[in-house]
Amino acid sequence: MVREIVVEHVARIEGHGAIKVLVDGDKVKEVKFEVFEGPRFIERILVGRTYYEVPDIVARICSICPDPHQVAAVRALEKALGVAVDWQIEMLRELQLLADVISSHALHLYLLALPDYLGYPDALSMVDKYGREVKLGLQLKRAGNTLKELLTGRSIHGCTVKPGGYTKVPSPSELEKLADMLRQSMEGAVLAVKLFSSLKCPDFARDENMFMAVDPGSVYGFSGNHILVSTGERYPVEDYKKLTNEVTVPHSTAKHSYYNGKSFMVGALARIALNGKKLKGQAVDMLRELEPKLDLANPLTNNLAQAIEAVYAVERAIEVIDELLDKGLKQEVMIEIKPKKGIGVSAVEAPRGILYHCYELDDEGRVVKADIITPTAQNVANIEKYIKITAERLLLKGEEKLELPLELVVRAYDPCISCSAHLVKVVKLR
Amino acid sequence: MTGNKIKVGFYSLTGCAGDFLNILNMEDKLLEVFKLLDVVEFALASSKVVHEKVDVAFIEGSVTTQKDLEVLKKIRENCNVLVALGNCAVWGGVQAELTGLDAKDLMKSVYNTTENYYSFLGEHKAVSEVVKVDYELPGCPIEVEEFLELLIDVIRGVIPEFKDYPVCVECKIREIPCLIVERGEACLGPITVGGCKARCPYYNAPCIGCRGPVKEEANVAGELSMLLEKGWKKQEVINRLRLFAARYKDIAKLLER
Repeated sequence: MVREIVVEHVARIEGHGAIKVLVDGDKVKEVKFEVFEGPRFIERILVGRTYYEVPDIVARICSICPDPHQVAAVRALEKALGVAVDWQIEMLRELQLLADVISSHALHLYLLALPDYLGYPDALSMVDKYGREVKLGLQLKRAGNTLKELLTGRSIHGCTVKPGGYTKVPSPSELEKLADMLRQSMEGAVLAVKLFSSLKCPDFARDENMFMAVDPGSVYGFSGNHILVSTGERYPVEDYKKLTNEVTVPHSTAKHSYYNGKSFMVGALARIALNGKKLKGQAVDMLRELEPKLDLANPLTNNLAQAIEAVYAVERAIEVIDELLDKGLKQEVMIEIKPKKGIGVSAVEAPRGILYHCYELDDEGRVVKADIITPTAQNVANIEKYIKITAERLLLKGEEKLELPLELVVRAYDPCISCSAHLVKVVKLR
Repeated sequence: MTGNKIKVGFYSLTGCAGDFLNILNMEDKLLEVFKLLDVVEFALASSKVVHEKVDVAFIEGSVTTQKDLEVLKKIRENCNVLVALGNCAVWGGVQAELTGLDAKDLMKSVYNTTENYYSFLGEHKAVSEVVKVDYELPGCPIEVEEFLELLIDVIRGVIPEFKDYPVCVECKIREIPCLIVERGEACLGPITVGGCKARCPYYNAPCIGCRGPVKEEANVAGELSMLLEKGWKKQEVINRLRLFAARYKDIAKLLER
């Protein structure tokens, strides 16, 4: 009997996605994770515009991670323009990436993923029984968002981020206040680790995986000039095309990525797998203690990896603020830019994984070509791999209800494809 | 209404989900606000879906695909009040900047295919171009304070008021030095509708027009000639004017590609 298992709209993810599995008896014939977000052609909007406008426009790709888009853009543009920025700007950019990791992981862990595990439709319905959890989750999210507001002017689509620096630099007293707020939010990050290490993580999706992450250098971080692959290879970011090998597939607006013909995973689990040794502070102890639980072959452990990263991000953000305050903040003007022709590639770690931006500029600094490869685009092929494995195993066990397990797999990747109605149905074709 | 709660739905069309996320970003007030509402659908935050009529439907995103179009028409039939939230719903979003370009060329240039797999309508429309809209709240993203004011008015059954003055007025109130006069920046404050408290100029960044023009009043030609006088290139100014309001009549006229 051939039947199609359909999760028409996967809810609690950022964007419109659906799961379709074509089943014949207990064999899986075909798997599709469909991304049918309306096409917005952002790369095309950039063409003909000056480098100055780019960070404001690419932010609009995604409301959860406008910050990595902006930082990736300014880094790539500065490479194309031959501009080097100073230590303070680098530190503020690290802080901006950390702020996005904090708010995005808090959103995903507490508001989007936790309801699955506790059996609720959403976090608000959990309040009566899990009031403390929801409140601490929201407090953590607020801390990340307040930091974003301070650095960029707002929590979504900030306005201060330009090639050459920030249009406004926070004052020492504002940063001090933020450090206090981060210290208070730490409880929420630590609780996330406790929660996700105590929840039973299903193992129906186990299989050896390949990972990629940005090489951050000596300190665990979210940007760098090289990419690490779990095969032991290391490539300059300029080789991004070879690493992502994008193909457009009929069922999705997200392009699919393969490396050497195989799918791979990017995101928190990949970063911990490749850079976990570089963690510091409480996160190191947590990782050591939880390593047996952090099964790299099981993508569902990505949630636990995110929680450990949230702890790190809060501590690291406080540390960066302290360093900035120690050195004395310059309320300096931005670095002057002389438009010139060039090509620049950058990679940063967005909460969901590696984000590549590449720009080609003409001699007046106008965009001739823009290429942006998002983490979810890189993960889609890997998501499909694990949907297939999960469906096959559960069918062999005689399981009939596959919808929730399949949604768990998808949601573990925290896909960001910009959400909609939710309808689960099993269509029997014959 | 059930009891004294109004029944609301939050529906996303094509966009970045930033307007709804900004609602979730009011962490301190979130639990309190949602106690006032009977939310039947909010897919970004909940897997709960109840297909039923609502008192108020909030829409974010542009009408970009055949699906957007069909979903929107159904929502209009099933709601009393329809509110468009954010630049995508009010003006078509940054993606509407591409208005006038050939859909096949776009597919080719970004997705390397000429086939219309995504049932793209060929252009990105504002919600009001497709169905009757009761209220529009601009912004990219919306200002949460304005959303709360609107929500309270709707709950009380009061007709909400909307800003009809430009961002410049808010710069004056906050005593922010004019970015055009003092620094010669290509600031769109003079034609852009206020309500953001001149957020970007406050952060030393020129207004990029994310709230769209002051309807019926924006002096687009005046803005253009003023910036040309300041030495800006025509094409660059047109690019900036088009970014968030390419479907506004006076800006659509300026099309030069």
